[in-house]
Order: sequence, then C-alpha cells, then structure tokens
Amino acid sequence: MSQSALHPAADQATRLLGLWDLMLWVCAGMYVLVIAFLAWAIWRRRRAAYLIEPEVMVSDPGLERALGGWAVLIVVGLIVLTTASFLTDRALATPGERPLKIKVTGQQWWWRVEYQDGPVERWVETANEIRLPLGRPAEIELASDDVIHSFWIPNLAGKTDLIPGRTNRMAITPRRAGRFRGQCAEFCGFQHAHMALDVTVEPEAAFEAWRARQLAPAAAPADPQRAYGQQVFQAKACAMCHAIAGTQAGSRNGPDLTHVASRRTLAAGALPYSKGALAGWIANPQALKPGTNMPAVRLSADEQAALVAYLDGLK
Amino acid sequence: MSSPCRVRAERLLALLLAAAVLAGCEREKRHIGPSGPEAAPVIQTTPFVPGGAQPLPKDPRAEFYENNAFEVAQGARLFRWYNCSGCHSNGGGGMGPALIDDQWIYGSEIEQIYGTIQQGRPNGMPSFRDKATEEQIWQLAAYVRSLAGKNSQVASSRSDAMAGIPPRNQASPADAGKETPPKRLR
Amino acid sequence: MPHGRVFHRPQKGDGVQPRVRTTARSIAGLLGALALVIASSATARADEDGQWTMPAKNYASTRYSALNQITPANVASLRPEFTFSTGTTKGIEAAPLVVGATMYVVTPYPNYLFALDLTKPGAPLKWRYAPRPVPASQGVACCDVVNRGAVFWRGKVIFNTLDGQTVAVNADTGKEVWRTRLGDINKGETITMAPLVVKGKVLVGNSGGEMGVRGWITALNADTGAVAWKAFNTGPDRDVLIGPDFKPFYASDRGQDLGARTWPGEAWKIGGGTVWGWISYDPELDLIYYGTGNPGPWNPDQRPGDNKWTAGIFARDPDTGKARWFYQFTPHDQHDYDAINENVLLDLPIGGKARKVIVRPERNGYLYVIDRASGEVLSADPFVHVNSSEGVDLKTGRLIPTKAKEPKLGKVVRDICPSANGAKDWMPSAWSPRTRLLYLPATNMCMDVQTAEANYIAGTPYVGAEVRMYAGPGGHRGLFMAWDPARRKKVWEVQEDLPVWSGALTTGGDVVFYGTMDGWFKALDARTGKLLWSFKTSSGIISQPVSYRGPDGRQYVAVLSGVGGWAGVVVSADLDPRDPTAALGFVGATGDLKQKTTPGGTLYVFALPRAR
Repeated sequence: MSQSALHPAADQATRLLGLWDLMLWVCAGMYVLVIAFLAWAIWRRRRAAYLIEPEVMVSDPGLERALGGWAVLIVVGLIVLTTASFLTDRALATPGERPLKIKVTGQQWWWRVEYQDGPVERWVETANEIRLPLGRPAEIELASDDVIHSFWIPNLAGKTDLIPGRTNRMAITPRRAGRFRGQCAEFCGFQHAHMALDVTVEPEAAFEAWRARQLAPAAAPADPQRAYGQQVFQAKACAMCHAIAGTQAGSRNGPDLTHVASRRTLAAGALPYSKGALAGWIANPQALKPGTNMPAVRLSADEQAALVAYLDGLK
Repeated sequence: MSSPCRVRAERLLALLLAAAVLAGCEREKRHIGPSGPEAAPVIQTTPFVPGGAQPLPKDPRAEFYENNAFEVAQGARLFRWYNCSGCHSNGGGGMGPALIDDQWIYGSEIEQIYGTIQQGRPNGMPSFRDKATEEQIWQLAAYVRSLAGKNSQVASSRSDAMAGIPPRNQASPADAGKETPPKRLR
Repeated sequence: MPHGRVFHRPQKGDGVQPRVRTTARSIAGLLGALALVIASSATARADEDGQWTMPAKNYASTRYSALNQITPANVASLRPEFTFSTGTTKGIEAAPLVVGATMYVVTPYPNYLFALDLTKPGAPLKWRYAPRPVPASQGVACCDVVNRGAVFWRGKVIFNTLDGQTVAVNADTGKEVWRTRLGDINKGETITMAPLVVKGKVLVGNSGGEMGVRGWITALNADTGAVAWKAFNTGPDRDVLIGPDFKPFYASDRGQDLGARTWPGEAWKIGGGTVWGWISYDPELDLIYYGTGNPGPWNPDQRPGDNKWTAGIFARDPDTGKARWFYQFTPHDQHDYDAINENVLLDLPIGGKARKVIVRPERNGYLYVIDRASGEVLSADPFVHVNSSEGVDLKTGRLIPTKAKEPKLGKVVRDICPSANGAKDWMPSAWSPRTRLLYLPATNMCMDVQTAEANYIAGTPYVGAEVRMYAGPGGHRGLFMAWDPARRKKVWEVQEDLPVWSGALTTGGDVVFYGTMDGWFKALDARTGKLLWSFKTSSGIISQPVSYRGPDGRQYVAVLSGVGGWAGVVVSADLDPRDPTAALGFVGATGDLKQKTTPGGTLYVFALPRAR
C-alpha cells in the first residue's frame, strides 16, 4: 500500500507533482544564485575608499547590471510560479467527463463514503474505503458532521478540508491501478492518526462488480450461531450506532457494517481485517484505539463468538 | 522584611493554588479505557419512606461522572446519538418531558436519573438497559443533570447547534415567552 | 351516509329543559325564535338530518351543516346550554359526534369514549368506555397524544386508540364489539386519525412520520374488524396496491416500483408517508381520497430522490384498495410538509365548465384545485407567505423548490416559510355551498432549520433536524380566511395572534365558527368575516366544532376545549419555553402560550335561548 505524493497515480497528483517539481527547480536555481552571490560578496574584499568616505558613491556598472538582472529574474520567476500554480489550480477544479459522484463525510474518527452515482436506488454506502474505476474521473463531495477534517490521498490528489456546514468538492482522475492509503490531514482529536482510508484503483469492470456486491443488502445469517449473532447485534448497544442493510439496524453514528467483512481494514485503518482482529476490536476497542467512540460492550463468551461470526459473515 | 507568619501564609497560599490547579485537572481529566465493574446503583424514585425520612443511598461512582467535564461532554454526544434529543429536544422537551426545568417526576439525583434511563418509565420513557453501556448511562445522567444546572463543578451545557441561542439553562424562566408575538430572527 | 336511527324529535318548547327565567334571556330567545322562523321558511333543506356522524360531517368533507336557526342576526345571543368535563388535560382535536339523541365524545389518550344523553336536561352521561391503551404509547406520539375523532356506522361508534388499535363500540350500550390491533408502538407506530367508514369498510391509517415508520392505510370489515386490504405508501407496487388500473396524470408518477426506486437502498422501509389526516369519498366515482405524510427523516440528504409515495394524494378503490391515481404535492419534501390535509370534494365551474374537483389547502402553502377523476392539477395558488418554493409548474405538476431554502448538513438555514407545520396543518377547513367559499384556518410562521445525521433506532424519533419557529411577516401567527376556489383568491381574512389550530364549521345560517388557542370560540359572518360573537372557554381550542339539531328541534353548536396538539404541547405537556427547539421547534413560536392558557378538557354546547 502506497502513501506518497511523489508517486502519483492520478491526473491531479501528477499535476501537483509537476508544479512541485517546477517550484523545486525554480527555487533551487534561485537559491543557488543567491548563495553564489553571497559567496562572491564575501570573497570580494571591500575597497579602501568605502572605508574612508562611506557617503561617496562609487559607480560600479557591473554590480548595477547584476542587480537589475536579479530583479528581472525574480519577477519572471514569480510570474512563472504564479502562472503555473494558477493553471494547476484550474486544472484541479475542472471536473472530467461523466464524473463518478462520491460523498465523503468525516467523523471522529472514520470516513463515511457514499457513492451518489446514477439513480438513487443504486446509491451505495460504505466506510473507510474508496474504490475508484481506472480512468473515470471521480467528483468527491466533502462534508463533516463534527469538527474540521482534511481529506488526503497523497498518491491521487492534494488535501481538501471537510468543514462542518460547508460542502467542498474535489476531482480525482485515477490513471494507475493499485492500493493507496488516505489519511486525515487536519488534527481532529484523539485518534486523528488512526483515521485512514483504504483506497483502491481498479479497472471499471472490477469496480462495477464490487459496487453490485455492495448494493445487495446483508446476507441472511447462514447458520444458528450467526442467527444468534444477529440477535445479539440488534439487542445490544451495537444497533444503537451501526447500520446493516436488510436488518432493523439503521443508526448512523458509526460506520455502516453491511459488508464489513469485505473490507481490508478495521476501525479506519487501525488494524488489518481478520476475524481475530474483529474479535479483539469488539472486546476492547479502547485498548486498540484509545478514545474511540466505540464502547466496550459487555458480552458473554457465547454472545461474543456469535456476534463475531455474524459480522465476519457480512462479506 | 518578612515575618515567619507571613512566610507561612504565603506558602499556604501557594499550596492552596497548587491544590486548586490540580483539582482543575481532575475536573477535565479524560478517562479512557475499559469501564469499571458493571453494577447498577441502588435506586428509589422517591425520598418518601415509611418510618421517617431516610437519606437516599449514594453511589460511589456518581461523583466522578457528575464532576468531570469530559464525562458530561460525552453524555452530551450520546444525548444526540441515542436520540434522547428527539424527544427531549435541547432540554425543553417534546414527546418527552422538559429536562431543563426544576420538575423531576422520577427524582433529580444522578442515581435516580440513571435508574430512569436504564429501566425506562411506564409513560413512554424506553429502557436503555443493554442498549447503552453502564458508563454511557452514567455519562447521560451527568449530562441531564447539567442541563438543569444541577452540577456544581462542571460548566453548564451549551448546545453547539442553532447558533445564536443562549445556553438553555442560562435563560431566565421569566424571559420565556416575553416576546409576544415572537420576533422574526434574521 | 351511515344510517342513523330514527328518533323521536320533541316539539319546540316540550319542556325537556327548564324554562328560561330572566327577562333579558326571554327577549333574546324571542328574537331568536323570530329569526328562526324567517330563516327556516327561506331555506329548509331536505337532506339535512341534523346529525353529525363523522368528523367531516359528510363524505365530501365540507363540515357544513344546513341548519340555519343561528344567523348573523341572532348569533350574538348564543349562550352555553351545557358543559361536560372529559377529565383529560391533553390536546383535544376531536369532533363530537351526534347520532339520534346521543352525543359521543372521544378524548385524547387514554382515549375515553363518552356517550351523553341529549334528551335529558344537561345531557347527562349515558355510558363511558375506556379502551386502556398502553401507557408507553405516549412516548412515541410525536406531537401530543391527540385523537381526531370517532365515526358512527350502523349502531357502532368506531375510533382508534393511541397505541394502534381500532375499536368498535356498541352505540347504545357502550359495550365493545370488536377491536383490532394494527400498529406496533415498538416501531414507533401510533394512530391518531379519525377513521372513515365507506361501504362497510373502516379506513384507518397510521401515525409516526417522525419515528421512521412505514405509512399505510388499511380497510377493516366494519362488522368484524377483520382486515380487508392494506396498502403501504412506500415500497414496491404490490405493497402499494398499484396495478394496471393505476393511471396517474403526470409522467413522473408512472413507472415500475417507484415507491422503492425513488429512495436510496432500503430507506423506503422507514420512510414515513403515514396517513394521520383526512379521508374523503366520492360515491359517484367510487373513489376514496387521502393524503400521505412527510418522508422520513426530515433531513433530506438521507433520502435523495422523489421519495414516492410520500407527501401526496392517492385515489383508491374502496373495495380493493387498488390505487387509481396519485399526485405528489411535495416531491422530495425537505421541510416536513405532510400532505395529510382534508380533501374537500366539490363541483366547481372552472374555465366555463363544471368540474368535479378536490379543493386542498396544502401544507406547502398552496391551495390546489385538482380534478378528482384524473388527478390533474387545475390550479395551485399560495394562500400565505411562501418562500420555500417558487410555485407549481402546472405542466409537470411539480413544485419548484427554492434552492436557498434547502437544508444542508450542519448549516443553519434561516427564514424558511412556511414552517414545518405548514401554511395549514391538520385543522380542517369548511365549505359553504351558500357562499361558495372555503373557510380555512391557517398559520403564518417561518423557521430556521439545521439538519444532522438521523439515526434509525426503532421506537425513537427519526428526524435529523433541529428547528426553531417564529411568527411570519406581520407578526401574527394565525390566520382565518375565506377563499374562493373558483376565482382563486382570498375574499377576507382575520389575523390571529396565536396559530389557529382548530377546525372550521359553517352553517346554513351563513355563520362560521372556529376557536383560538387562548380559548375564544368565535362566530364570524360567513360573507364578510365580521366577528359577531365570541365566548371564552376554559382552555385553548384546537378541536373541530360541530352543529346539530337537538331532540328539542333547536340548532346547537358544540366544541371541545382543551389546548395541546403540536402547537399547544408546550402547555399540555408542560414543556420549557426557554428551549425554542422543543417540540420539534414549535415552542420557539408558542413559548408565550403558557401565560395565556392552561390545560383542560371541556365540552361546550351552545344554543340560542329557548323560545317562550
């Protein structure tokens, strides 16, 4: 899994890297010039006349030319950088053709991801993971339900803040398949560091297959233990915060768990998904992610096992 | 020139200040981790007891939750998350009774409020037993008391929503409904 | 029409009640009797039986009684004949029924049913019936624990209880005939509406649009209470009873399973569209008409799409429940504009032709005139200050919402008019065939809204919006107006300080009655709106006044006084007015009500003084 702005996988990140490179080279060139000029100034000894009569100006046409050239260079450099930055900004703000609309809502400390594409009956909700079809531009709407967060997938695009009461938008056009890590980039409390996104760029066919699976409500429990697990989920505090499509659980305080077992991470990237990790997370969330809003719910061993089996079956 | 008495007084003052500062830390202290042993407090909804008045039994955990700003703030979050606000609004009530006033049908002590949330009450209050953890019920109870200005140690509640409204329990009851007809707020 | 029993009607001055004693009264009585003679000789109506057997008076829902003893000339001498305490302190929205010589009064929770004997002086209690609804139902009733009335059908009084049951009681003995449980309070379902009996079927719908319920209407066999059919207002076509007969007028209502496909995921399962208001019936077209409530939750971001079949009107076949047409007043409702208001069935001259129409003062602020055979909107005109929408496109039938007034997550959107209770809530209007005017109670309020994520937790509120209401332009919160639906304009209006939350009644004497939330029961001249008479009752009035002919042949006007409802719950549930968001924001507008009235429950019956 990659998390680096220097290995762009989307048009936006490529443009940003291009701008970054330009700024690097322009600023590096300027820096070298300044240092060279400084060194030259130190090396060149002062003339005696200055020491005797400082107020007398001694004409030095060479120096004057150099300074004039320097001023021109600065102006040109700034114009180049400003223009490049402006053009990059314009390019970032231009949505592509046939954009895939995704709404991302930041919450302490996880991401709600809603695919708002096509007719409403085909909208899909997931959490802490984003799948993007290769080559198709995505238009991402950013909102927050509590404090300011910032959405950042370094390989794909720059940062954009999620501000309560405001809707921000950004575009991503992925050009290289792969798995990337996104991260909240604005300090948002205790578990800011564990507010990660699992981003996958894949061919459109694979994406559509994934979306079709996400669209289905949760499968009915296949065996008695899982059926009991479903009952536990509904009877205990779980259903007060989580939703599972196809059941009565419909709360939106925490992530939607309809297909939780199909995700590759748990608790917003805090740990990789496995049945064992899930059991540990449910048993004591505060030990794995101190300060998280998920409480440790008291369950008997049977209840715990059934609940884990049930959730693990939600592929 | 300072007398030994004066020095002692200064030291005492410094000590007191330090104690106050430490106490302040305690008030804001965040308790993170697994909650303590689960045992519901002993609750009775009325102080009226045959055979003469008896003090209500106190629960040793009550004070911690009630006097801790973090716990009260967690209670405020849960008040919205668990849809308490759906019935009790921001304390003014609706489907459920008002919580910012001074009427307490089932008792105003934190242990009694705990009992009301945990057990439910017959005229419409649902029971949150098993639906909220012990710790969460304490947090909710502490927040409910703060709505009515019953906590002496922590700041009164203030809803972040609907900017422009003063904190509910800082508005005087006499002010309510003074605007007749209510002014348009722009 | 339900068949009431024929009863012996004593002659005038039969001496059933004690004689009027004071001189002033006898003079007034004399005048009254004179007016009576003049009026009745002028317009005696053959089809007026003097009873009131259903809350809307008749299937067309006109709330018009042709009785004409009380006229603008003599109404000033109207005086209370008897009163009756219901023993309740919650809001009373019901209309008393009068069948034969008995009056039936149904109260809010705990839904007592009282029968009063009108033949005896002071109308003593004949019997009482207590259905004992589950007390916990009080905790899931969104806006006070009201009941909008009972209906009489072949010797039975049929009404709904708050905890979701329909009960039929023997009208003579007060003994229960059948009871059917329809709603589940653990899902947030209650029933507050008044049932209607059409062709031997009791039509009942659920309440709970603020609790994430799925709205439905059902028909019960009036003799047994068995469910004949049930139609949901959201979900796939087979649940909604949509078949080949379904022919909506507008293209946007045509298509397969729109009740599910205009919602994201399974949101339709908890999407509201309840039926807590009024049902009308046209025997000629053999169609029932009813409106569906708001989509849930209030936060519109959680349910993109048109959210069919909420906030609209259905025409159905009463025998099978099959839908015939539908029209959506407020597609993708964003401001809790339930569409449950009364449907007044009239024959109006429109464009030079007589058309069979529904006149519908709608919560979104427009007064619609709809062809009741096809569902075509003929006109839609704002009757109060509206800024939440820009109008109704008559080509597509669609409401045009105002972009700036759309709620946004975490943002306070201010000055949305009308407020969530709409330009006119449940309180029914009245139509007079004599003046050809619709008399409608309305509110003039605006609101600020901030939305938040709503959590569906069964049995708890599913709203996701914080609301604060206040008076609209002009500062008056209530209106009572006369509207000419044929000429599409307001004829007169009376401004009231408090929201008008009572129904209207109009009579053959050209008098209009309504009540105010601070307890005044008023009579206006139907043609000019001039206040002719008023009487201060013990509590605020939010109920439906009725008029009937007593066993002594005199015209009576009855009204229940007992403040409450969404507008008055601040008083009836003793809320704290310091929180303007209390009661879903209504307390912001009626915080002063506690200084103006107190809870109560009293029946008042008025008549002109007895002739000597």
